[in-house]
Amino acid sequence: MLTEPFTPEFLAQLEALRLRTRKEFLGSQTGSYSSPRRGTSLEFADYRRYAPGDDLRYLDWGIYARTDRLYIKVFREEVDLFAYIFIDASGSMAFPSPEQKFLPATYVALALSYVILANQDHVKLHLLQDSSGRASPFYRGRRRMTNCIEFATSASPAGLLQLGPSLGEHLKRLRRPGKAIVISDFLMPAASYQQGFNLLRAFNLDISAIQILSRVEVDPPFSRGRLALVDSETQREINYEWSDDSRREYQSRLAYHNLEIRSFCHQSGIHYSLYVTDRELSDFIFATLPATGLFK
Amino acid sequence: MEFLNPTALLGFLALPLLLIPYLTKKRPRRLTFSSLILFTQSGTPTSRGPWGRIHLPPVFFLQLLLLTLLILALSEPVFSVRPTRIAIVLDNSASMQALEEGKTRLTLAQQKAESLTQELGSPGRVDIYTTTPRLQRVNAEPLATVQANRVIAGIKAYDLADAPIDYDQSLGALAHEQNYQRIYLMTDHPAGSQGTITRVISVGKTQPNLAITAFDVRRSSIAATRLEASATISNFSSRDEKLRVALKANGTTLTSRDVITRAGNAATVVFEGFAAHPTYEVEIEGADALPLDNRRYAVAPASRNLRILAITPRPQAAASLKSIPGVTVDVVSPADYEKAVRRDYALEVFHFAAPATLPDNPSLFILPPERNSIVESGAPVGTVQVSSWREPHELTRYINFSLFRPTYARPLKPKTAGDIIIDSPNGPLAFALEHRGAHYLFLGFDPLPYLGRENLPMSIFTLNLLDWFLDSAGTKAQGTAEPIAFGTVEAGDTLVTPAGKKIALNGRATVFQDTYEQGLYEWRHGRETRWFARNLADEQESDLRTPSRIDLHDIVKAPGTSSAMFTFWPYLLIASLLLLFLEWFISPRMRRLMVRRRTVQPA
Repeated sequence: MLTEPFTPEFLAQLEALRLRTRKEFLGSQTGSYSSPRRGTSLEFADYRRYAPGDDLRYLDWGIYARTDRLYIKVFREEVDLFAYIFIDASGSMAFPSPEQKFLPATYVALALSYVILANQDHVKLHLLQDSSGRASPFYRGRRRMTNCIEFATSASPAGLLQLGPSLGEHLKRLRRPGKAIVISDFLMPAASYQQGFNLLRAFNLDISAIQILSRVEVDPPFSRGRLALVDSETQREINYEWSDDSRREYQSRLAYHNLEIRSFCHQSGIHYSLYVTDRELSDFIFATLPATGLFK
Repeated sequence: MEFLNPTALLGFLALPLLLIPYLTKKRPRRLTFSSLILFTQSGTPTSRGPWGRIHLPPVFFLQLLLLTLLILALSEPVFSVRPTRIAIVLDNSASMQALEEGKTRLTLAQQKAESLTQELGSPGRVDIYTTTPRLQRVNAEPLATVQANRVIAGIKAYDLADAPIDYDQSLGALAHEQNYQRIYLMTDHPAGSQGTITRVISVGKTQPNLAITAFDVRRSSIAATRLEASATISNFSSRDEKLRVALKANGTTLTSRDVITRAGNAATVVFEGFAAHPTYEVEIEGADALPLDNRRYAVAPASRNLRILAITPRPQAAASLKSIPGVTVDVVSPADYEKAVRRDYALEVFHFAAPATLPDNPSLFILPPERNSIVESGAPVGTVQVSSWREPHELTRYINFSLFRPTYARPLKPKTAGDIIIDSPNGPLAFALEHRGAHYLFLGFDPLPYLGRENLPMSIFTLNLLDWFLDSAGTKAQGTAEPIAFGTVEAGDTLVTPAGKKIALNGRATVFQDTYEQGLYEWRHGRETRWFARNLADEQESDLRTPSRIDLHDIVKAPGTSSAMFTFWPYLLIASLLLLFLEWFISPRMRRLMVRRRTVQPA
């Protein structure tokens, strides 16, 4: 039983989408994604010289007429896709509350999962926590959506996340290349997320990064005065004098931080998008993500 | 340096409270944020304590100094120099006999007094005073330290309540008149404020106590033969007590009763059917803080035979008294009064007669003649209307005064102070006075012709007055310091005090005043022996829970005298006020400066 926001209308709209990959992977079955191998799809790939035994149906008679040589048309093979969705389940995802950040993140992950499942592709969900991150089995087919929901909603965000080592643990068990989607707030030092992305790249995965931020993080509603700010993951505490100036300073730092991520993703061939959770999910899925090139 | 009001020093314990507004004001709001990587460049690490990092501005130290000075000023510090002339006033009231860990309070006071005299050194001179029965000096001349210690050690507590002394005024007057540099009052009362010269030194602490506050052995009336005794036991503690009360005579227990006294209340025990003895003692079994009030004494009421000497020109009227059981009446004419041997009579009744001076025996004066030295008589009144009477009073009990209608009266005009017992619009009809321990009653009407059932109120009044005179014969227990009146004393008479001290009575001294010990006084009068009981008469003295506080204040010094103390707390007060003004001036400016600094540069 699917609940809000996964209404029948929303799911119907998701079924119209297809994930886009910028790399070709060797699938396991026939699907709708091109493979580096030559096959029997409708998509033309190349010509090669005729060899005895070739199927005469693929002879290009036009070339033979012009050049008096026999060439065979070669087509791409279309295979299914293996997608990996990594959801950040660290303590920072529970700020200001799990409902305002972690839950929207899981909704984004589930919406993407449904797009993949509806296309008869494989999806596997990974929860990124400290060293004890969990991963679901591969799911395929629409009916597995409930399993995806159960897995995603069973997690509660907590703990400290080191993106690189945590991804490394998950990648050790990864056998098939495919599409990797990382959903996180990326509120971490640049070196940390860069290490994580580089690991994914090393595994020849087509990567997409979705940054999730709550409105409170974008525009902290602190009243002026002295604050003792506590890091939700490390519990480190600092004193901070909050004022209009410091608010502006914070926002400019956040903008610069996000720009760094975007820039790194752009240079690394990674889809990047930012989702501020007070925005409508459908608006983000159907407007922002296609615009970034995540969907066909 | 000493403090006249050391209680104010407790204010130092409250000084840390001054930190609270600074801690709460400086305590940052603690908020959890997803990640601090965007704050770390401008934030400062903080301690993990509940208050954060304490940052105290200079004005805090100014306020701290201000409060310190104020507390010091309130505690009234004085610089003292060693005095050379002091007075030690020792409270020797009954409550000073209370025990404190095995020692009496008086002993503790004496020890403290001796340590004070030791501090004086050889040039010091000491006067010793006691408070009961009155504030009086013990020594004639100022004493050196060693002599003073000897006198102090010899002071004993009397079985008397505190004398009604205004210590603030009395000690102030002493200091003024005798030029004392210090006066120390050693007492078991708590000290309130202290003067610069007069100081209270307290001994002892509040304690629960049980006390026999009343004891009486009596006949129900003059005609009764049976004795009954009653004792009232007061519980001056916060819990109920079960105790045993024993009635004794000649050191032997006659009977005993168990009684439960509620906390803060009194219970009465009644003994009946015990053997007749000349004296009785009632005692609480068991020990408590003040042993003195655990026993009380009483003398058996006089025998029911009352010998009356009637001096009257109308013998038949006085003879009507003979109809009362136990009363024997000898009648003499006024002219023969001086010749009569009056020593053995318990009462003299002057009927239309009066002596030249007040007799030694208790006396009743009925319609005294106009010319006498004690009371004047007014004009005769035919129908007498009683307008008021003393109530409760032994003379007026059981009388319905609406039926009390003497048909002839001559209102009295007293020449001396006394109690008006019955009054009328024309003047007093009954007037009583007490002189040298004997009762005297003056009547402006004649009750004798009405004895019998014809005028019941008058008959009751006559019985009442006989009871009243009987009580005055010294049989009832009285309070310590109440004098013993002997009537006629002969050479060779002795008085034995409760402590066993024999005092030879001078033939002229008919009253013994110094009854400061509780117990039985024995008057050996020829072959006859009479007993008098004296008991601690003040319940307050037995209540060791809430003694009243003694407050002493600064006294006006006599010109030319010097105090042993230099008072400088007014200077501290002035300094405090200056600091207050400084703080009021600086504080808002400091606050503005801090705000400006914060807006320019984040913390």
